[in-house]
Amino acid sequence: MTKFSTPQKIILHFALSFCILIFVFCIGNTADAVELKLESDKVPPFGMGQQFQVDLVLDTENEEINAVEGKVIFPEGLLELKEIRDGNSIINFWIEKPKNQNGTIIFSGITPGGFNSEKGLILSVIFEAKKEGVAKFEINDARVLRNDGTGSAATLTIAPFEIAISSEAPAETAAVAIVQDTELPESFVPEISKDESIANGKWFVVFATQDKASGIDHYEVKESRQRILSVFGRWVSAESPYVLTDQELRSYVLIKAVDKVGNEKVMEIVPKNPLAWYENYENWVMIIAGVFILALTAKKIWRKK
Amino acid sequence: MKIYAFVFLILLVLFSGSVYASTQQASTNGTSPVCGNGVVESGEQCDAGGSNGACPAACSASCTTNSCGGGGGGGGGNGNVVLVTSAIFNGRAYPKSTVTLLKDAQIAATTIAGADANFQITLTGLSGGNYIFSVYSEDSKGNRSSLLTFPVSVTSGATTQVSGIFIAPTIAVDKSEVKRGDNVAIFGQSVPNSEITISVNSDEEFFNKIKADAGGAYLYNFDTSVLETGQHFTKSKAAEDGAISSYSKAISFLVGTKSVLAKPSTTAPAKGDLNADGRVNLVDFSIAAYWYKRPLSATFKPTEVERLNGDGKINLIDFSIMAFYWTG
Repeated sequence: MTKFSTPQKIILHFALSFCILIFVFCIGNTADAVELKLESDKVPPFGMGQQFQVDLVLDTENEEINAVEGKVIFPEGLLELKEIRDGNSIINFWIEKPKNQNGTIIFSGITPGGFNSEKGLILSVIFEAKKEGVAKFEINDARVLRNDGTGSAATLTIAPFEIAISSEAPAETAAVAIVQDTELPESFVPEISKDESIANGKWFVVFATQDKASGIDHYEVKESRQRILSVFGRWVSAESPYVLTDQELRSYVLIKAVDKVGNEKVMEIVPKNPLAWYENYENWVMIIAGVFILALTAKKIWRKK
Repeated sequence: MKIYAFVFLILLVLFSGSVYASTQQASTNGTSPVCGNGVVESGEQCDAGGSNGACPAACSASCTTNSCGGGGGGGGGNGNVVLVTSAIFNGRAYPKSTVTLLKDAQIAATTIAGADANFQITLTGLSGGNYIFSVYSEDSKGNRSSLLTFPVSVTSGATTQVSGIFIAPTIAVDKSEVKRGDNVAIFGQSVPNSEITISVNSDEEFFNKIKADAGGAYLYNFDTSVLETGQHFTKSKAAEDGAISSYSKAISFLVGTKSVLAKPSTTAPAKGDLNADGRVNLVDFSIAAYWYKRPLSATFKPTEVERLNGDGKINLIDFSIMAFYWTG
């Protein structure tokens, strides 16, 4: 057995103590901290042209979390972003819907009531490998807030994530499964409201719904004082809150939710102050047409006699 | 003459309303039944949300049950099996209380619990996928429980059972400030005859147990002589037949040199209700989203100070506060 001198023993003692302290500190920190991490659905390395899915997931470590934001940065030179999916996200309302801005996916959203799970899916991204190399991902400016009524920040750890792309890897040409979405976006209840703080107190409509398969792509709004002839009206791309054009609230307001494969769900709000029957030219068209047809019929019968 | 008949037919089709077969009506007050919202309400035989329609759908566009298949006589029908995706929620609230179920943070259904505090809600018109459901209830005095949230993975074409929901008790105190040594009454409502555990947080945490009465009400007089002067928090949870609720929201009281009666309880959320309608929902979220990363107007600044975190801007923290006080 090796014998140490006293100074050596002291140095060894300090070194060991330091290592133990570092170890305990690291374990203690990671055990209590909320973890934001990226996970791939397949095992790298990936071949050129291969598609794969990367999930951004949250392990809340028994904390109640209700808000999350951040940026996922990926190397655009090596990877091509094909699609962002949020249909099955734990986020109920996006403050900033995930979108790609030159290799940075910005996201921000909330889960009212809080969320506590080891694997809460925030979003999924479909990539295609386009160049050989190691694709290093970063998560920047991330914040995860507790469901405590004050919005205090939870301690957050971010796991490093990288993917190797190799021309020698078996090239799997199959694309990531396309979402088979035959269901319409879910029914929702849009609501007309007004508040002095928005658009100088003008009436606006709010709306939000979900599509579990492919996710909501966008919303459109149409206003029409005529119900039937509204089919000829123009849909306008819209975000909630949408300030209404007809501030007299005499129009039918139709809100269309469109999912990422094009399924549509239309919800209608009947006018709060509908037109009187004589103000609606639809009714006059119907009456005149009816009278015209009746007159023609009567004339034909009279001629036969 | 044929032209006139053609015009008449076109008008008939246009004005018959059949163009609206796929269009759902939405109400702004949420009190009248809405066919197509996936919730079976008063006056509806069924409601499968977006799946409403003609056979083979089980539920018609007018929310009456379709008689599909069967055929009679010689054929025996078309034999289509309609798979409805639904979820059934069972749990305990407070006797005769209104229970509200939120689906992905929006009100999906309400029901009244029985005299035994048990409730059941059936939700149809769901899709296969992950949902965040939440429930809350209001006791006989109008106090609202905390939001109980749980993720549920719903299987397409199947009925998912969610059982054992146990809404936390409501809680209130009779004094906002109590003279040290005097009693503070801690009270609320839960399941009839359940065992209530009351926690009072100080440097040391005090636990006390009491049994709720047949109406679910409980009251505990806590002797404050064991507490230091300053602010303290209390919360409660209920246990019955081996099931235990989560803790209620924590409410505060001061221990000082005088006693001050607490203000009468109100259902208005303490924070997050930007349009002051007594609810924190999509409207408030939309108002906050409108001001997200924008300089606040002079009219909105006082609202932000009073109902959010008061830092003069709208950011993730304000949305987090709103999410905590969410009512749907």
